[in-house]
Amino acid sequence: MLAMALALATTGGGYLLVLAVIVPVIGMLLSLVVGGRHAERIAFALMPAGLGLALAIAIEVWVTGQPLVYILGGWPPPLGIALRADGFSAVMLVTAALVIAAAGYFARGGFATPPGVAEKRAPLAFWTLLQGLWAALAVVFLGGDLFNLYVALELLTFAAVPLVCLDGRPETLAAALRYLLFALFGSVLYLLGAALLYGTYGTLDIVLLADRTAAEPLVAPAVGFAAGLMTAGLLAKTALFPLHLWLPPAHANAPPPASAVLSALVVKASFFLIVRLWFDVMPGLASAAVTTLLAALGAAAILFGSVLALRQARLKLLIAYSTVAQIGYLFLMFPLAIGGHPWSAEAWSGGVMQTLSHAFAKAAMFLAAGVVYEQLGHDRIAELRGIGRAMPMAIFAFGLGGLSLMGLPPSGGFAAKWLLMQASVESGQWAWAVVMLVGGLLAGGYVYRVVAPALDRATVALKAPASRRREAVALALALGAVLLGFAPPEFFDLLQIGRPVAMAALR
Amino acid sequence: MSAAILAGLTGAALVGLGLYGLLTDPHPLRKILAFNILGSGVFLLFGIIARKGAAAGFAADPVPQAMVITGIVVAFSATALAVTLLLRLFQETRRATLEPDAPAKTPDAGVDG
Amino acid sequence: MSGTGTLGTALLVATLAVPLALLLACLSRRLRNNMPALLVLAPLPGLAAALLALGGMPLAFDQPQLGISLALDVPGALLLGVAALLWSVTGAYAFTDLRGKTNAARFSVCWLLTLTGSLGVFIVADLLGFYLFFALASLPAYGLIVHDDDDPAARRAGGVYMAFTVLSEAFLLLGFVLLAAGESHGSLQIRDVVAALPQSPWRDAALVFTVAGFALKIGTVPAHGWMPLTYAAAPIPAASVLSGAGVKAGVIGLIRFLPFDTAMPGAGEMLVVLGFFSAFYGVAIGITQANPKTVLAYSSVSQMGVIAAVLGMGLAAGDHSVALDTAFYAATHVLAKGALFLAVGVTAVTAARRLRPTLLLAAVLALGLGGLPLTGGALAKLAVKAPLGDGVVGLLANLSAVATTLLMLHFLQCLARTAAHEQQAPAGLAVPWQAMALASVAVPWLLYPFAGGNVADALALAALFDALWPVLIGAALALALRRWQNRLPPIPAGDIVEPAERAFSASYAVGSAMERADGWLRQWPAAGLSLLAIAVVLGAATLFGS
Repeated sequence: MLAMALALATTGGGYLLVLAVIVPVIGMLLSLVVGGRHAERIAFALMPAGLGLALAIAIEVWVTGQPLVYILGGWPPPLGIALRADGFSAVMLVTAALVIAAAGYFARGGFATPPGVAEKRAPLAFWTLLQGLWAALAVVFLGGDLFNLYVALELLTFAAVPLVCLDGRPETLAAALRYLLFALFGSVLYLLGAALLYGTYGTLDIVLLADRTAAEPLVAPAVGFAAGLMTAGLLAKTALFPLHLWLPPAHANAPPPASAVLSALVVKASFFLIVRLWFDVMPGLASAAVTTLLAALGAAAILFGSVLALRQARLKLLIAYSTVAQIGYLFLMFPLAIGGHPWSAEAWSGGVMQTLSHAFAKAAMFLAAGVVYEQLGHDRIAELRGIGRAMPMAIFAFGLGGLSLMGLPPSGGFAAKWLLMQASVESGQWAWAVVMLVGGLLAGGYVYRVVAPALDRATVALKAPASRRREAVALALALGAVLLGFAPPEFFDLLQIGRPVAMAALR
Repeated sequence: MSAAILAGLTGAALVGLGLYGLLTDPHPLRKILAFNILGSGVFLLFGIIARKGAAAGFAADPVPQAMVITGIVVAFSATALAVTLLLRLFQETRRATLEPDAPAKTPDAGVDG
Repeated sequence: MSGTGTLGTALLVATLAVPLALLLACLSRRLRNNMPALLVLAPLPGLAAALLALGGMPLAFDQPQLGISLALDVPGALLLGVAALLWSVTGAYAFTDLRGKTNAARFSVCWLLTLTGSLGVFIVADLLGFYLFFALASLPAYGLIVHDDDDPAARRAGGVYMAFTVLSEAFLLLGFVLLAAGESHGSLQIRDVVAALPQSPWRDAALVFTVAGFALKIGTVPAHGWMPLTYAAAPIPAASVLSGAGVKAGVIGLIRFLPFDTAMPGAGEMLVVLGFFSAFYGVAIGITQANPKTVLAYSSVSQMGVIAAVLGMGLAAGDHSVALDTAFYAATHVLAKGALFLAVGVTAVTAARRLRPTLLLAAVLALGLGGLPLTGGALAKLAVKAPLGDGVVGLLANLSAVATTLLMLHFLQCLARTAAHEQQAPAGLAVPWQAMALASVAVPWLLYPFAGGNVADALALAALFDALWPVLIGAALALALRRWQNRLPPIPAGDIVEPAERAFSASYAVGSAMERADGWLRQWPAAGLSLLAIAVVLGAATLFGS
């Protein structure tokens, strides 16, 4: 009860949560006012501030060992809205800040308007949308109310969709429209589920709901359908197989910094909410049937996504299908991490680690592919022989990212796989371990397809001079994925803060 | 038949119609309309829930009302964005289809290596 | 005491830090291009650490905060010392060999990476570190094998090598996860997880996957196909270090991870059968080959089979002493095999009429593998005599010595045929070869006492005769083989790789079926229906699942 009371009152440092949301919003509004010429400068001025805030939140959570809470306007839920940050939110905020800053730095100059040239729409759109997306992500990671989260998720979609079609080519427009319509389909289902849940329990605040579902689970059949509808809606936005129809064209055709952000962060936002839903809101309802179903879809995603990635002719499509596969790994954590078993904590850490390391690795790979495309004018895998010499850092970044996807040490991907496999063995759920191994082998195959010919000694005709800065950005992100493999035990303690079962054990 | 049941049936019918249209109609504009019909059904449901809250002693539960208003704004923005995209697509290609990789399914989509 | 301890720790760390520092130096283009000259220095701290450890000081460096745990015992030191020696001498050979060649910088980077892993596996004491260094000893070697990337054979060999390597990594990962899960205190020290293995609920599965991972690395039949392809395609220095030092990552893995303290007759006997099958299979295919590098590769398959058999006997009997015996056996193999590959390189640039000294030295080393008296090979055979026993297994071991002699005489013949027309090997190649050859004759005698052997026993008349007769029979068989050589069926290098590749191509059909299924699922109505179905099934699972 004490913890419950704590979760409904603003804690020390709670104002940081508000700032983390407001800073990108300010940037977005200012950019709209001053126009495309200065939007870039505003974004770069605010990115360090956002990163600093995210780090401050992570440190505050780690030092206090408790989630941070801010009650908006002093109105406690159920009438008011709360912002909350636990360990998972904090690391996601930091990851988002880093990836967005890297994508922005990669894009620097790409959307600039030289003096004396009439302003185009793309620069303004890119920088405004990037900051809008960032604000929406912050709300998703911090929001404490399921309806509030719905709005955040919609904002995220509205920022992500135009990023796909910034260049206005017909195929990107079609991809964006397809993405938008399927995402809307998913969000209506989520909203329907939220309505049913509110009708049953009279609140959508996560902490209050968790309390009420624990007291009286399944008071009405509506609760079960609410869970099904909300999860399915979020799955559509996460592009879990077989709901991935929109992902490959959208992620493969977007400008590289946008692809990086979409693959690294945007699909993770809806995944984050699925985790919130099943681990925080209604852990009591997560039966073996539910978690096995989610993991089975994840396993199918790993197999299909990896095989399809092996068969793509274009580099960016290969990476996009690899995202389809890697999303699958995330869902393997459900049957392993739910409940208070001895292995649940390591499965939880493994799932979070996979989320983070994939964010860095995939962003690095999309940016590397962007460098390749920029310099060759195409990204046909059959014609990549010898590009390693022309753009060594980009290929190195791609290879390091691939190392993490394959789950080879040292990398965050290895740590994630190790923890998840450990949990699957200890819980006797062998099948998931085998799927992870096969996925790793297939990942090895598609990374090899790109890296081996790239390292050959052959001459390639370059359309544009190499941009070492952009290559370095990709490499920095890939090194981030590698560094996660060296995470100290304290980092894993941070991830456990706010995990419902872990908190129950503390009490 | 009480007003709540009538509203519930209407909401269910709208949701069903919307789902059917969203699934089967290939034309994007009709999908957008179907999404709006589906959304209206869900908003009706929120109205009924507000009424139910009223039965519990409130004059009327204000929270679902606030949600519906927000939801309508969101659905309106979504529709605006979708229609804009569709218009641009039509201007560029003189046709409106959701198959982005249809023209790309040319020989180079085969296996390699 | 503490002075030596500090020195030992420093050397242990330097074993990894020096090659890594050289790798960092490769970031500079100028240093990268000059790196071949420094390759000879990279393994020297490892050599020094090994000497210190053999001097009686068990070295250890434990930093759990950094996630690093290093330790060097006598079996590790034996292998570390000879491997470091081989890496150093072959590094000198590579310096001359690389001169004026393209890709020299890339070769150096891959060389240093592989070297770090190859030496690292001998000194690392924790599970995750071992996995890391094992991967490092295996994956970057791709760049050593596919040095000439316009050569289709090299590219094919590289592809096959990577497939086997990644498979081996996958088996090991599962094996290690099972090992760690069996240790109830959460320790990741190799010592602890292996001690807990016999009581682990996952004992059999852990053992199977771990051994399978290492068996892929040491090329036990049927996982041997990559070796002949790889060694034939790789440049001489690469083939030398990979066959000499690289493969021993698998041997040290078996030594470290098999739980010798508990007798496991079933598992041990399976390893013995597998090992001897490889030992004879390698010879049987090897004598049909004409390329000396391929013949040496098949000899490696055979020799690693013997090592697996010895380890199997130790496991069956619960005898921990085989760890040291096999380490010594493997150490002599590091030296001899590494040197013989250099001989192949030197012969190819030496005129036939100047060839005699080279051939003579090569003959001593080659027959040494068969156990020729007074060579390192004879000592190695003597070291593993006790665990193999006098029964059927002992007889099989002697027969494998006969077979190896036969194969090695065949190798010498093939080698002589590759001599150049009118050339003299440059000193930069000849000197490292001679140094390595002398080392592989002399060093086993120096190391034998550390492996618990007595040099006087090895010089006893009975021991000399025991070593001699298999060689003589082998020589007689070789004469017969000369006569029948033409009737042997032609077998492509890597024998079972070709059918495996065909089977692999057949699996593309699965891929295209999955592609069609994906295309169908990504149609809008199918995806929409899937979405609704998932919502309904998840709802039902929530309602009725608990």
